[in-house]
Amino acid sequence: MTGMRRCAVLLAIALVPATRVGAQDDVRAQLLARGAPTAFADRVAQIVGAAAAEDLPIEPIVTKALEGWAKHARVPPDRVVTVLERLAVQLRTGRDVTVAAGVDPAPAVVAAAAEALGRGVPAADVQAVMRAAPSAEGAATGLTVAASLTAQGLGTDAATKAVRDAYMAGRPASDILEFPSVVAGLVAGGVPMSDVARRILEEGGLPLPSEPGRGLGRGRPSGIPAGRGPPDEPPGKGKGMGPPTEPPGKGKPSAP
Amino acid sequence: MSVPDEVVVQRILAGEAELFRILVRRYREEFARYAASLCGDADVAADAMQEAFIRAFDALDSCREPARFKAWFFRILTNQCHNARRGLGVRGRLDDIVVTAADRADAGVSDEELREAIDAALGQLTPEQREAFVLKHVDGRSYAEIADLLGVGEDALKMRVHRARDALKKLLEPWS
Amino acid sequence: MSEREGYSQEVQRFLDEEPDAQLTERARVDAERFREALARYASSLPVPGRELDAAVMSVVGARPLGGVRGLVRWLFRPRPVLLRPVLIAAGLVATTALGWWLGQQGGSPPVPGALIAEAPTVLVRFELRAPEAVQVALSGSFTGWDSEGVALSKNAQTGVWSVTVPLPLGEHEYSFVIDGQRWIPDPKAHAQVDDGFGQTNSVIVVGPRGVVRS
Repeated sequence: MTGMRRCAVLLAIALVPATRVGAQDDVRAQLLARGAPTAFADRVAQIVGAAAAEDLPIEPIVTKALEGWAKHARVPPDRVVTVLERLAVQLRTGRDVTVAAGVDPAPAVVAAAAEALGRGVPAADVQAVMRAAPSAEGAATGLTVAASLTAQGLGTDAATKAVRDAYMAGRPASDILEFPSVVAGLVAGGVPMSDVARRILEEGGLPLPSEPGRGLGRGRPSGIPAGRGPPDEPPGKGKGMGPPTEPPGKGKPSAP
Repeated sequence: MSVPDEVVVQRILAGEAELFRILVRRYREEFARYAASLCGDADVAADAMQEAFIRAFDALDSCREPARFKAWFFRILTNQCHNARRGLGVRGRLDDIVVTAADRADAGVSDEELREAIDAALGQLTPEQREAFVLKHVDGRSYAEIADLLGVGEDALKMRVHRARDALKKLLEPWS
Repeated sequence: MSEREGYSQEVQRFLDEEPDAQLTERARVDAERFREALARYASSLPVPGRELDAAVMSVVGARPLGGVRGLVRWLFRPRPVLLRPVLIAAGLVATTALGWWLGQQGGSPPVPGALIAEAPTVLVRFELRAPEAVQVALSGSFTGWDSEGVALSKNAQTGVWSVTVPLPLGEHEYSFVIDGQRWIPDPKAHAQVDDGFGQTNSVIVVGPRGVVRS
């Protein structure tokens, strides 16, 4: 599909009104608009439809499907389908673990549980984090952060303890979202990961950056105002376009 | 990801005024440091930025090239900052600060003292020199970019920045 | 201003980042002192914070847009704005963004799990050193895994590509795409994970205070 045609198709999709289009039709249309073969798009839609019928969260499956297609130069469609089917099974397990913990299986919680399990967090720890969280949102956030900390190399014990301890101390989910950055900052500052893990397990909890907008030590959050360093927009191409209209306010004297 | 200014401006002018918030956020992030340095004070800068945004909103339909919103807004903001700084009167006498620094050349200088000193030095510059210097050495922008924002040629800009640096050199000597 | 009172021409050229500026030892000391003082000044400068945004919008929200002229233009502007050629020229990235905005208005968003403009976002900067690359893009969960992704801009001198993107709080998986073909993880991400397809995705978790990287 040429660029223009693709734009037109996406615009057409974007303009679809609010009447409920089925989730499987959504993902099918998205894939077709991106040039995926019909057979593949149909198969994906089938998997998504089946998951939806079981009340499993479908967003992780849809996102994975789009990712798989984006990488289609290297990944055969059959492989993508296999991954999606495996993901559906993982979501089902996530739901079972959630229900067994006595926690309401909200889609975000189930998805986060599945992700944590997939990253090697044991089911018992997943359940412990869920129970420590004050709300469903908190449970989802806590599990996501525990999964990330695990992937960072912290070890599942320290990862889940950090999150659980934080919730039990009454810290909000927004604090917990900082943990991966805190750990990255500590490591960047020269603290070995094993020491960070030990600190959590023995001393309890992770510190937070003391000042808003600043990381620990050398770590520098990239959320600082964009006035620092080159901006994300290219320098103006407006040399041929003339100066902007004089805005209201005092005129600028032209001095050297 | 950034949606181009042109698109946002056109949708605002088509009636979706609440999208102005996107431009406010974008250009507060972009120019907060510049405004704070130009005004010499974060609170004064906040007032100047707020006033600049409100004026920009009121005059948005007179922004002839929405794709150039950034440079257009920059001009409004710079005017407001210069006004604000003028309104504050003379801020700190440079001579006093230099003498104080010489006395304490062996003591450490706090960030606040350094800021006050640099602010006083910047106050001695012409508005044009101050703008160019802050864009270059506080924001870290290239001359090409500064030329685009200020609508001034690079040679004239370099002259302004060189003069501003010279003015600061004298100040910075006691702090070695 | 005489040579004695100001910086030497070489220092000026060095501070202007001219490539062939040569410095004597004395000049280097001058230049470093200048740089350090300014770096300290710039990084300790208190700046207006995000509370400004709400303050502006509370004033602006009560005002008519552009006065009477604005009102007249609004009444006669062709609808919908979306189909204007300038938007197609703005490229696929802008189109996708509009799709997200529309998703926010109601109905199913065309790109599932996509950015919703109303959720609080934090600016996150991505950088990759790739001096040989012709094109570098960022593709991830926050772009709907669009194969074209968000383009980075190159600093010709350092060979570093970068872009700053507003991201919602939470976890994001992504990858750099070099020259439209090679998918490269971000060495500065929080973690690397298997994408399930035999490749590696990078992961960052965005908190309210931004992202600190390794």
